[in-house]
Parts: sequence; C-alpha cells; structure tokens
Amino acid sequence: MIQANEQLDAKGLSCPMPIVKTKKAIMGLDQGQVLEIQATDKGSTADLAAWASSVGHQYIGTVEENNVLYHYIRKGSNEPEVEKAFEHTVALEELETCKGLILDVREAAEYAFGHIDGAKSIPLGELESRLAEVDKNEEIYVICRTGKRSDLAAQLLVKNGYPKVYNVLPGMNEWNGNITKEI
Amino acid sequence: MSNKVAIIAANGGLFDAYKVFNIATAAAASEKEVQIFFTFEGLNFIHKQAMHALEMPAGKEHFAEGFKKANVPSIPELVEMAIELGVTFIACQMTMDVMGLTKEDFVDGIEVGGAVTFLEYAKDAAPTLTF
Repeated sequence: MIQANEQLDAKGLSCPMPIVKTKKAIMGLDQGQVLEIQATDKGSTADLAAWASSVGHQYIGTVEENNVLYHYIRKGSNEPEVEKAFEHTVALEELETCKGLILDVREAAEYAFGHIDGAKSIPLGELESRLAEVDKNEEIYVICRTGKRSDLAAQLLVKNGYPKVYNVLPGMNEWNGNITKEI
Repeated sequence: MSNKVAIIAANGGLFDAYKVFNIATAAAASEKEVQIFFTFEGLNFIHKQAMHALEMPAGKEHFAEGFKKANVPSIPELVEMAIELGVTFIACQMTMDVMGLTKEDFVDGIEVGGAVTFLEYAKDAAPTLTF
C-alpha cells in the first residue's frame, strides 16, 4: 500500500469526471502533500499526467490492482523558489563513489515509485520525529527531487548535531542510475 | 501560451453536447478560462427543457446502452459542473430572436451576446473549437 495524505474515489466515473474530481480534491491539500486517485477510466492515466504537468502539480505514478488504477499526485507550489541555504553539497554524479547513508526525504509515494538502491526513506515532514533512526557517526547524503526539501532536511540535521551532512544536487529528477521500486 | 479556450456549439445533438462539455469541463479543471458560444441548434444544450431530451444521430440510438454502461454523466449534470467550474455561457442573440426565445428559457447565469462578443474573447484564445 502506497502512502498518501488523502484518497479520492473516482471509480466507475468516465472522462472528464476523474479530472474534475481531482481538481476539487487537491484544493483541500497542503502544498507537498500526496493525493491518491482511485479510478477505473483507462484514459485517466494519460489525462492525469497531462493535467498535473499543465497546472503545476507533480505526477508521481500509477499502479494497477484488480482493475483499479491508483494514481499519485503531489500538490505543487505557487510559491517563489527559495534560495538554497545549506553550504555542503555534493553533485549527483559523485554519489556513486560516496560511502555513507543516502537519506531520501521525498514523500513515501515518491520513494515507492523509484529510489536509489539502499537509500533510506524519511519524508521531510517526519524527519524531526524520526532522528533516532539516523546514525550521527555516518556521513549523510540527503536527497529529494530537486534539492529544495533536502536543503531544509540538511539544515535540520546539522541543527540537531549531525556533523557530516551533504545535500545532493540537483536530485532524483536528474538521476539516470539504477532505481529500485516498491510497487 | 494562451490560458483561454473558446468553443462554438453550433449543433444540437447528444453527441455534439458531449464533445462540447467534456472539453469545456476538462479545460476548466485545468485552470483555463473557458467560454462557450451557443448558436443555432447548440442553444438546445442550455435550454431548460431541450437539454433533457437531446437526440442521438439517426441510427445510432443503440449507443444509449453504452452511455449507461460507461457511467457517463448526463448533459444537465455536465452543464451544472461547467457552471460550477466557472465556464462562461454566451447565448447567440440573433438565434434567440429567430427562434423566439428569451433569456428565461435558458439555465441561470448565461450571458447573451452577438458574434462580436465571442470574436473579441476568441481573438487571443488557443484553441478555438467548433462543434
């Protein structure tokens, strides 16, 4: 089961209803939260992917189970880009030669649809309460999709006394290496 | 990139109505500004009575079952949804005069205008579609 903040039941509905319902449902979510859309309309996969890209949300992916399509969309932001503040960064290409923990701070659904083999998943919003799971002595390479959330996560780790933290830039959206899926 | 979609509804059959309202609601849900100009038989779609009795093309009546099976929303439902999503309806004044119709014959919230009203809106819309 892939984790999402809200579920929308659009099963049995035909085009354009899954899109119309999704538009309404996503208004109730906070930026960065994930909506699961359950649909049986076969066209909804292509439609939702196109819709998300057109209105500025992130289409994460779709799984099919017992003839039901489960689509995952992460609500985009209309806020301006914030300047990345964390100084210690490593380039994505250098990651393969790095030893230490790769900490993936994207939402659980994003992680499920593809992450670097061996990366540990702790979504940014849960990091503060799950610090006990991260070893202070290890080098930590924090990654997200574009480097924005990992920037905040890296700052949070340093504030909590982690000495060896690096933000991996740009992030999974540029990653061309192998990925592991949990779907 | 234009954020406006302009649609001309000029035919009055059930199939025509679905083409118009599926595109219109999908565009509105994608945060586009949408305006539909209803002219000639297209006025059926927003006419309080006619909208409930739109006909399939001759010989295609057997599709009724398919519509039911696919759980397609009815045209009055799609009209309501389009209004809720902020789609603007313009009824063609000239056609209304020819057919002896007034604004009260149509669903609430429509505007009445002429060809220039629509052309003014459509001049920087992309796409402009005719059904």
